[in-house]
Amino acid sequence: MVLRLLTITALFVLFTAASCDPDPPVVCPACPVDVPDLPITGPATPTAFTLEVPDFMPRPILDETNPLTEEGIELGRRLFYDKIMGRDSAIACADCHRQELAFTDGRALAIGVDGREGTRSAMSIVNLAFNPNGFNWDGAAPQLWEQAIHPVENMLEMDEDWERVLQRLRRSRDYPRRFRAAFGIGRTSEISRELAVKAIAQFERTIISGDSHFDRVVYRNTEFFTEEEQFGADSLFFIENVPVGANHPGCGHCHNKPSFGDNKFKNNGLDDVANLDDFMDKGFGAVSGSRLDNGKFRTPTLRNIALTAPYMHDGRFATLEEVLEHYASGGHGVENEDPNITGFTMTAAEKEALIAFLHTLTDESLLTDERYANPF
Amino acid sequence: MFNSYPGVPPRGGWQIPLLGRCCWSVTCSSGALSLLIILNPLGTCGRAQSYTMKFLSLFALLFPLLFVACLDDDDVVSPDTVATSIDFVATYAGTDLAIQSGTYAYPTGAQLKTTLFQYYVSDLTLLAADGSTVPLSELELIRYGSATDAATVTRTYNVPAGDYVGLRFGLGVKPALNALDPNNFAADYILNENEFWGPGTRYVFAKIEANADLENDGTFDTGLSYHLGSDALYATISLTGNITIDGENDPRLTIVADVLKALASETETFDISDVNQQRVHGGNQAIGQAIWERLVGQFKLDLR
Repeated sequence: MVLRLLTITALFVLFTAASCDPDPPVVCPACPVDVPDLPITGPATPTAFTLEVPDFMPRPILDETNPLTEEGIELGRRLFYDKIMGRDSAIACADCHRQELAFTDGRALAIGVDGREGTRSAMSIVNLAFNPNGFNWDGAAPQLWEQAIHPVENMLEMDEDWERVLQRLRRSRDYPRRFRAAFGIGRTSEISRELAVKAIAQFERTIISGDSHFDRVVYRNTEFFTEEEQFGADSLFFIENVPVGANHPGCGHCHNKPSFGDNKFKNNGLDDVANLDDFMDKGFGAVSGSRLDNGKFRTPTLRNIALTAPYMHDGRFATLEEVLEHYASGGHGVENEDPNITGFTMTAAEKEALIAFLHTLTDESLLTDERYANPF
Repeated sequence: MFNSYPGVPPRGGWQIPLLGRCCWSVTCSSGALSLLIILNPLGTCGRAQSYTMKFLSLFALLFPLLFVACLDDDDVVSPDTVATSIDFVATYAGTDLAIQSGTYAYPTGAQLKTTLFQYYVSDLTLLAADGSTVPLSELELIRYGSATDAATVTRTYNVPAGDYVGLRFGLGVKPALNALDPNNFAADYILNENEFWGPGTRYVFAKIEANADLENDGTFDTGLSYHLGSDALYATISLTGNITIDGENDPRLTIVADVLKALASETETFDISDVNQQRVHGGNQAIGQAIWERLVGQFKLDLR
């Protein structure tokens, strides 16, 4: 019995020891030349960051696997604005997410390297700390930091190989010490894709937009609505007190305050398809795997909506007037349209009032806030 | 003006290294690594084979400990407590509700495709045979909102073994919680702004949404949206059933809610073709009152 036990044990030890042999080198002619793995010196203990959120907003959703730190946020801000992240160091995240446009790009479809046109409109990236669902128009990225992986690789966006991005970061005279300060790493080889996108996500999570005219009227009581804005809010936008049978746009169903977007995935009646397989862009359906979710996209926030034209996931509407006309038309009766897309009529004055209200959602301070600005 | 949040969410308390669950979970998740450490304190793989019988005997003694250590502390409950699941099942005319994919006959001759059915459950409580009560949960949101959602939503609670005579819960958000604005909670909590009309009308207790084919022309082009709730409508529901929970052959507690029974009874059918009755929300509850009352009255408890 003892002999058998010892034999099994010896075999196990041999097996375990054998597994410690170094792996044979991978032959990869196309792989980039390795950057020397150098030690990094300097501070390595990040400082915990406290996120401040307007008291009328809910508690933000923080990522236990990626705690906010001052050094991580600053590193993320630099990576966000640095063209080093794109192919040939020629394009940055910030090229499609411009602060002065509430972090959108003013284009219908995003433009990547070499002027390549993407398939969707660049989303505003404010108030991501309140999103409980997947990120992007279609919810494809479960975590905020995962969202940042794909644009770097996407040939229609930054079109770069992550390994080359990492090489540039490791070779940099500045970034290694910043990665060490943010994540406590000791060698340049430890600069990884995950750490880079986690830093970007930390920065993005701090971008809070909550100082609009609307906020100052409704929550701070320091300003007043004009009559037109008030009419737009009470009678056309919010749904709290809608009379029976009222001809009401019902915006508030999906765009309730204070976030002004429910982050859910819905078919808002854009396309008249004969059946659910006919959507050009399947949106959430491609993520959920159900054809019944085809043509559904995230309800985006309406905060700063006056700055984020063109509208919809594909930028098909150039103006807010066009958006309202679309909703007034009541969609196309496609079976998975949201039942709250019901159609309505509105006078020119009502349309102007609703648009005046939408303009109250612009947060001017966001556009110049130094904390979110280009650090270079 | 502002609320401050530390950059990492608080966790469920700190664990004492080497004494708590943390110690064992590390051992388990890196079992091979632990073996190496035990076998090879010098830290070099290649020399491990040369260790003496004494050391191997020590290993033989320690090896079973690794497996003992892998028992999950979470599974350890009081011997008098039984993990008990409650299934919340949604149906339409008695068949499992299939969001979007199911096509359902409505008594007026119309066809429906349901896109959303949800309701809050407050103070879910088991009623014991001796007259005492066992609170299970303060608030649940039971939601069937996606084509990929099953018709059964399951919640599991630790329940003292014993004899019970039924269940009780409040349909809707109980007044104490209904008084709190969504900014009191995390953005991903079930009481968030998406379920909140506003300061005057508060949370939406239940939602039924569907697209209807009123003309039987194959197009489901009439949206129906019934959003119900107010403090005045909050209702307590008691369901009876003899339930013995002892950890062996326990019945599956199943709370069934039927969408059709909320919209229509044998004697009364909500007229969905009336354009004034296709939307109920906010302060506009009067026309939805009958739906709410039928919803309150139709819950049943099955013991499966």
